[in-house]
Amino acid sequence: MGSEASDEELMLRYGDGDAGAFEALYRRHRGPMYRFLLRQAGDAAAAEELLQDVWMRVVNSRGRYEARAKFTSWVYAIAHNRLMDFYRANGRASFLSHEESESVLEDLPGGEIPAEVKLDRKRATERLLAALAELPDVQREAFLLQQEGELSLEEIAAVTGVSRETAKSRLRYAVAKLRASLGKES
Amino acid sequence: MIEPRDEELSRIYRDADAPEPAQRVDDAILAASRRAAGARPRPAGFGFARRWGTPVALAATVVVTFTLTLMVFERQSGVDTMAPAATSADQPARSSPTEPRRAGQLAQSPREEAKPAAPARPIPQAADRRDRAQQGLDESAASSERLGTGQPAFVPEVPRAPEALRKSEEAAPAPAAAAPSANFYSSERAVADQPAPAAAPAAGASGLRESKVRGAGVVSGIASRVAAPEAKERAPKKWLEDIRKLKTEGKATEAERELAEFKKRYPEYRLPEDLR
Repeated sequence: MGSEASDEELMLRYGDGDAGAFEALYRRHRGPMYRFLLRQAGDAAAAEELLQDVWMRVVNSRGRYEARAKFTSWVYAIAHNRLMDFYRANGRASFLSHEESESVLEDLPGGEIPAEVKLDRKRATERLLAALAELPDVQREAFLLQQEGELSLEEIAAVTGVSRETAKSRLRYAVAKLRASLGKES
Repeated sequence: MIEPRDEELSRIYRDADAPEPAQRVDDAILAASRRAAGARPRPAGFGFARRWGTPVALAATVVVTFTLTLMVFERQSGVDTMAPAATSADQPARSSPTEPRRAGQLAQSPREEAKPAAPARPIPQAADRRDRAQQGLDESAASSERLGTGQPAFVPEVPRAPEALRKSEEAAPAPAAAAPSANFYSSERAVADQPAPAAAPAAGASGLRESKVRGAGVVSGIASRVAAPEAKERAPKKWLEDIRKLKTEGKATEAERELAEFKKRYPEYRLPEDLR
């Protein structure tokens, strides 16, 4: 069954001309990849364009693909690079800067949310997504790679081209701000 | 403390709406992937061909090269073994080891060699050489069979003269001038072969054959060198010279007899004024 095969096996089969393997692979990752791009680009049309671009690069790389790393690491690295291009084209320099703002936590509106108010899950999600959108790009990317791509710290570091400590720091800040948005202390 | 992965945060995040790409995006991507997969179809035998193509090609090259080498070697050996036979007969300079010749050509040469001389007893020699050539041919063919080449393309036409022709040649030796070329391998051979049967039954036709062959002007250097002494001996001009000499010496009777013999042998030869 195609669904039981690993991502790497499917990609190799597609490299051998099995179009069905690619479809299975795409169905498996289309949602998370789209959400990753959507949250990062902030625009559905741009996200769809980026999604198409990422997968076309996968298609065109089918003959050169080697299962030396996780497929998700590889495909999210492609997505990361495409996002970088997108940010450059749209003048979003914050993503390109590796400066980490320690003061971001203090700027979050998390403290304004009454701790005693129980948020229902829907409202909590809305707040989370709002806070996510407010995160610096690199922190949001680290969080999304963990949540959507299910990548480990090492894989996030490899995909984004930074050290493991940098990736861990970005992720810690992202989680702290998001928790704060939910009225939770870290 | 902030955990690298907050499970509660993850749960809340997953509760959020999970937007998905539009159907048209899916269709476009999948269509492109199918096109790409179809653009480079790999047939079932593709892997096999890629894996074994090079070794098979190398093996085929080696086999073909080896076979060709063997064939050339065998053919060369055939030339070498036949050369001494021809040499021992009467023509040492004819066969050169550096001149590989086809078996068919080799087999033909005896017949051509038999034609020019035709002095007193040319036929036994020719027959002998013909037999040897035939033997060589048989050996050559047999060696080809042994090689298993299955290529009879170079097996020559067996140059056996008809038995009747042979007998008539023995009965009436061909004149010296009937020497065709030893190089009659193709069209020239056909020219040279044609007069032979016609000339054989009647010795008187030899003159005509001589003129034809002369007209053709196709006498190879080798054949000329080999056949030169005999040809000179039997040349009509020389004969006439002798007759003229006899006349000069006053041997009229002998001269008349020789002249009659000459006219009998060359009835169509135009005699000089002084001998008419």
